[in-house]
Amino acid sequence: MKKMLPVEELARDERFNRVDLFSQAMDPRTVQNREEGKGRRGPQKLTPDRDDAPEAARGLMHGIFMGEVQALEGAGRTCWDFPTGTGRDEAPFELKLDMARQCWDETRHVEISVKLGDWMGTEVGEFAEATFLYEAACNPDPVLRLTGVNRALEGLAIDIFNTMRDFGSVSGDPILEFCEDWMLADEVTHVKMGSDWLRRMTEKDPERRANALEFQKVVDRLFSLGGFRGEEEDSPIKLARRFRELAGFDTKEIDEIADLSAEARVVAEAMRAEGQARVDAQHAATGTEG
Amino acid sequence: MAVIVTPTEFTLVLFEHQAIVDILERLLPDIGLGDVDVTLNVDERVPMGRADVVSIDPVVLEVEGGALEDPKVPRQLSVEGTADILGRLLLRVRDRRDPAFGEPPADGDLTLAHKSAWDVYCVGRLARKGYRPQRQRRIYAFRNRHGFTDAADAAFDQLWSAESLTWADIVRISDGAAAAREPITA
Repeated sequence: MKKMLPVEELARDERFNRVDLFSQAMDPRTVQNREEGKGRRGPQKLTPDRDDAPEAARGLMHGIFMGEVQALEGAGRTCWDFPTGTGRDEAPFELKLDMARQCWDETRHVEISVKLGDWMGTEVGEFAEATFLYEAACNPDPVLRLTGVNRALEGLAIDIFNTMRDFGSVSGDPILEFCEDWMLADEVTHVKMGSDWLRRMTEKDPERRANALEFQKVVDRLFSLGGFRGEEEDSPIKLARRFRELAGFDTKEIDEIADLSAEARVVAEAMRAEGQARVDAQHAATGTEG
Repeated sequence: MAVIVTPTEFTLVLFEHQAIVDILERLLPDIGLGDVDVTLNVDERVPMGRADVVSIDPVVLEVEGGALEDPKVPRQLSVEGTADILGRLLLRVRDRRDPAFGEPPADGDLTLAHKSAWDVYCVGRLARKGYRPQRQRRIYAFRNRHGFTDAADAAFDQLWSAESLTWADIVRISDGAAAAREPITA
């Protein structure tokens, strides 16, 4: 069986359509709206009083489902891609056991997510598949996989599951609330595995640890873009501080993610303001209204 | 029947103007508006899903590009999704133009629950005309607004299978379902 399987070779049937991050970023609408300072304004938190709340929840749930599929594939690859051992290019047997356990959890999450999709009226593959999770799981260094996937992306999953669980609770949906709560508990364990293995595998290699944490920061920054995840009450996805503590993050690390998110939000708002000013200036020069 | 869709050429999304015209020309007679002129303005710059009836006489609809987009293939038109969105808007137009239906508040003044109940009544009628039903998606949205209860499901069935309700009927069914909802304490 092939090692280091590229994202293009993942097995998918005709129900699925993949969209990579580059295509999303280069969507001409996104580019134009960014240049003109447009974009969503006002509170974006997923709450039942949003006009599009049920649809937004369906889309987010499908995103979670795809994330579970890729998390399963990523953890499975980590069991296979590296020889067993304690060398730099190897993965310890106990780490592989943890990854195998994670595969078991992710498989269950895929099944739960499919059933939640049925409950919410969503077909498998109804929405495009973003591939970022598996791409982070392709790193040739197992420690960077642990920080990129287990700590950064599974950490994001904690924030998302917590948000979805709250949405289920406030909207009175017992099925959604229950399922998200159970999956959230598993995600905390997966993030903790990442935290524990990062410390163990880099105990005597501070440079490797620094590189791994830098990679985590890159991934965290990517998913804080535009203030998508943050501590503000109106953030679409709220940083789940307590669950991150349970998952082995210390206060300083959580503060760093919160700071990254706050910075990303300020940058996004500044870009919007700058773009709007440019459009207003153009309208003033041509005598048209915006 | 004249159908006007703007813009006539899309530059940011891969929509074909004629495909949207074709969908409207199929919908209008199916919905009972075969003799009505319709203008649809699409804001292709916005990948969100807003869709509004701007005027019922003349009939003017405005949608954001995302409302017509295939969620699986970004920037491509979804024929089924477009028929679904435009069909719902046109059924609301038909209801509003029918004096026997009553006088619902302006779209912007509708409560989320009443709007959702009216949507169910519209989509149920569209489904019986052969358009995509997505019944489970609709009942999920309805439950979000009316509670995850047997009473809400019974109200949904009533709205979904109805052919000639008045606005007062829709409000009564919606309010009845919402009243059976247990208070949320979270």
